[in-house]
Amino acid sequence: MLVSVLNGFAIGFLLFILAVGLSLVFGMMDVLNLAHGALFLGGAYLGAVLGGSWGGFLGALGLAALGGLAGGVLLSLMTEPLRRRSHLDQALLTLGVALIAAELLIITFGDDPLSAAAPPGLDGSVTVLGAVYPTYRLLIIVIGAVLALAVYLVVDRTRVGALVRATVDDREMVSTLGIDNRLVKGAVFAVGSVLATVAGVLGGPIYGARPGLDATVLILALVVVVIGGLGSVRGALVGALVIGQIDTVGRVLLPDFASFVLFGALALVLVVRPQGLFGTRAVAR
Amino acid sequence: MTAVEPSVVPATPAARRGYGRWVAIAVLVVLAAAPLFLAPFATSTLSRVLVFALFAVSLDLLVGVTGLPSLGHAAYFGSGAYAAGWTSIHVTAEAPVPLLVGAGVGALAAASTGWITARSAGVFFLMLTLAIGELVGQVANTWESVTGGANGLTGVPAVRIAGQPLANAGFTHWYVLLVAALGFALVWTVARSPFGDALRGIRDNEPRMRALGYSTSLYKYAVFVLAGGVAGMAGSLLVAQQRLVSTADVGFLISSLMLLAVVIGGAGSLWGACLGAALVVVVRDALGPTLDGHGPLVLGIVFVAVVYLLPRGAAGLLGRTR
Amino acid sequence: MEHPALTRRRLLALFGAAATLPVLSACGSSVGGGGSAPAAGGGGGTIKVGLVVPQSGVYASLGEDMTRGWELWLESNGGRFGDYTVETVAVDEGETPQTGVPAVQRVIQQDDVDVVVGLVNSATALGVKDLLTESRKLLVVTNAGAEGLTGAAATPYIWRTSFTNGQVAAAMGTHLAETGFAEGVFLIAPDYAAGTEVIENFRAAYTAGGGTIAGEAKPPFGTTSDYQPFLSTIQASGARATFCFFSGAEAITFVQQYAQFGLAQSIPLYGSGFLTEGSVLPQQGQAALGVQTTLHYTDQLDNPANTAFVEAYTAAYGESPSTFSVQTWDAANVLNRALATATALDGDSLAAALGGIGAVDDSPRGTWEFDGQTPRQNMYLRSVQDANGTLVNAVVEDLGPQSQPG
Repeated sequence: MLVSVLNGFAIGFLLFILAVGLSLVFGMMDVLNLAHGALFLGGAYLGAVLGGSWGGFLGALGLAALGGLAGGVLLSLMTEPLRRRSHLDQALLTLGVALIAAELLIITFGDDPLSAAAPPGLDGSVTVLGAVYPTYRLLIIVIGAVLALAVYLVVDRTRVGALVRATVDDREMVSTLGIDNRLVKGAVFAVGSVLATVAGVLGGPIYGARPGLDATVLILALVVVVIGGLGSVRGALVGALVIGQIDTVGRVLLPDFASFVLFGALALVLVVRPQGLFGTRAVAR
Repeated sequence: MTAVEPSVVPATPAARRGYGRWVAIAVLVVLAAAPLFLAPFATSTLSRVLVFALFAVSLDLLVGVTGLPSLGHAAYFGSGAYAAGWTSIHVTAEAPVPLLVGAGVGALAAASTGWITARSAGVFFLMLTLAIGELVGQVANTWESVTGGANGLTGVPAVRIAGQPLANAGFTHWYVLLVAALGFALVWTVARSPFGDALRGIRDNEPRMRALGYSTSLYKYAVFVLAGGVAGMAGSLLVAQQRLVSTADVGFLISSLMLLAVVIGGAGSLWGACLGAALVVVVRDALGPTLDGHGPLVLGIVFVAVVYLLPRGAAGLLGRTR
Repeated sequence: MEHPALTRRRLLALFGAAATLPVLSACGSSVGGGGSAPAAGGGGGTIKVGLVVPQSGVYASLGEDMTRGWELWLESNGGRFGDYTVETVAVDEGETPQTGVPAVQRVIQQDDVDVVVGLVNSATALGVKDLLTESRKLLVVTNAGAEGLTGAAATPYIWRTSFTNGQVAAAMGTHLAETGFAEGVFLIAPDYAAGTEVIENFRAAYTAGGGTIAGEAKPPFGTTSDYQPFLSTIQASGARATFCFFSGAEAITFVQQYAQFGLAQSIPLYGSGFLTEGSVLPQQGQAALGVQTTLHYTDQLDNPANTAFVEAYTAAYGESPSTFSVQTWDAANVLNRALATATALDGDSLAAALGGIGAVDDSPRGTWEFDGQTPRQNMYLRSVQDANGTLVNAVVEDLGPQSQPG
């Protein structure tokens, strides 16, 4: 049971890296980026193809970060002409982009599911809490915790972070201060997308890379941000950790309802606290 | 309703109204005559277009008329399809029983999930319906004793009318056409009613409608249930036509395809939704095999192109933001 | 966009008028009675075969193997079934019945084929049952393993050259009960139809042999990527062995995580053969070593027919054949045998002829015969081993012939 809790943290931190980008982009830009899952899948494929050595793993991370940067900037530019149009137009655009990107990935990497190897030294297992546990997942916990702290510090303690928070609260206000909205938007989009592709590489050794994984992780990420509250870093972290535990401990405790614990938790949160655990704007009014 | 200008059905001069009537009759006649001249495979493709046209119309009631973009509408379409199929197998295939059961279960499924979605709007609504759609898909896959799970619900008998089964593609087509036309008429009537005016008011400015004393959540809940019922009706037609239901019929891809159909046609225009559905089905079924399985690629490109090139079509979806 | 014409009375009138029309125009439309009568066969001529296998989607690689199996048989036999020249119409089955059923409809109604061969997806195969019965056309299923396709609920028009989900599992159930694992096997399979069939038939054979189940888990199908919670449950159950059924991406992640979480050393992993078949095996890598499965074929089989088959296949396509290739190769094989005695090409004549072909003695999988329209065939216990850097399913034991259970 303890090892399930530990594993819940590994999955939770991975989900945090995945979901925090989605949450920030939505919170700041009001753009629901449905291509977020495709970005993750892109990273996962890179990890699967290049992984297996430290050079390959780090190379995949670097390439994924570059790809995420390019993807984020591209998405930001693509949604720019739709700035004055509805949220839905932007969401539809990203849905279209997601479909295109996923198909291009399949054309490039094939229909067959691929596995991604953890870098040497981390591909084994160690005994933790009296159970055998894959070493690589411990690394995920460490990286996730560090990233969470870093994002939290940046958003909460720096000038840039203040700007980010101010943009979440009142975009028009910030633009009257003479700060180029498009620049902020491009930067946030880029950071969010880089986090998604990096999460893909990091998640590869756990999730593999396969057609359809993009939709699976997109829905997970949406559930995380809805539970945690949109636009809140702390919400994304807590939401991700809660989902991580539900997905592991919940399945151990309620094996017969394994398919439903996730959405059950979502429904519960929506009933009790429609704005999410840390959100300010209600998902349901 | 003087406060809200009905914008979906603009007031047209009498001359154009007469013109529209003849077009409608001509379309119906052509659709009704089609089985006499088309081979069975082409006829069943045409029937499938009608099934999805009705589905798209029910979605348009949410998306175009009320401004609630759903990415999970296939949940109610699928619920209706499973219910109609199960009834045909285990109870009776005598029309209109499967149809009524399909519509009823579609509405019931919408009623039991709508309380979550009716309080939300915009992109939040999109997210919630997506999650609900996934959940219903999971149920369809797991509840094997009723749905057949991943094997699908098969062995559905043909719809019977007065004891006679609809033995071939042509008769089935006429049944589908009749029901689809009735369903279309229902949605069209609702969209033109004062209730429809109130829905458009909610789409254009919900706070104002609330200030005017409307219980907007109640209106949204009602239209959600109604749209679920019509989608269930379309689901029962799907069973009548393809005689099986599979988990893919409840899936995310169908929901997004239909949302695309509505957007292509210009949200709010019920005829447009039908044309959009026709385009999507024909692209999927006729062009699909020649695209080497990369249909989603074409779909994605169409999505992107429509958003940029048909702003009028897409603009009505949410009205002004916030 | 108004159309006040849509009153109910007018609609009904319109339909009343339309419904009388078919009397006037009977043939060449969708409203005529019955299907068109198949051309009488007799000596020579052409047999048109609709090959419906996935060319896209997650099963595309299976489809490719199947197409190769089919083509290889035809190429080595002059493209003929006895006196008939074979004309193949290849159509994409896709991933789901949404694409698969229209594909079968198309080859039957539009291309007017005599026989349909293929189908990976069980839901698609089950979904075309009525269509085949109504058009009286023969379908030879070359993969889909659902029990309901043949056996008690069969139609005379569906025959199968592959396997049934339960057949493969039952062989393993009997084997494990007999070989010292009678106390405590844990069962795990995804929560969907095929998984349930595998688990139930394993359970039936295993408990009949005196085995007791240690526990059971059903991970959500298609969305589970992390099996840790289920692996913990297996460890806590005190099971002596695990029996599982996974395929595709799930087979890769399950086998890898089974090793990563240290279960592979303590609780041996057994499974239905698809766990380690085809393209998933190289992806599983070292984690798959020692995993034992049952199946009706492996390219490692030592018999003259298989040696020749593997050689020809490898020469033509540059890689070893899979079970899917053999299943489709055998479809051509049995159709050829049936056409030696068939009086016509309609479903009834072909079904009757297939029923009389007896033992198929030149199949790469070993000799097999039809029993209830599906193969009664030998099941092989296979173990994943490293043969000079390539992972293979080596034969451990021939478990003898097995029919569709139940």
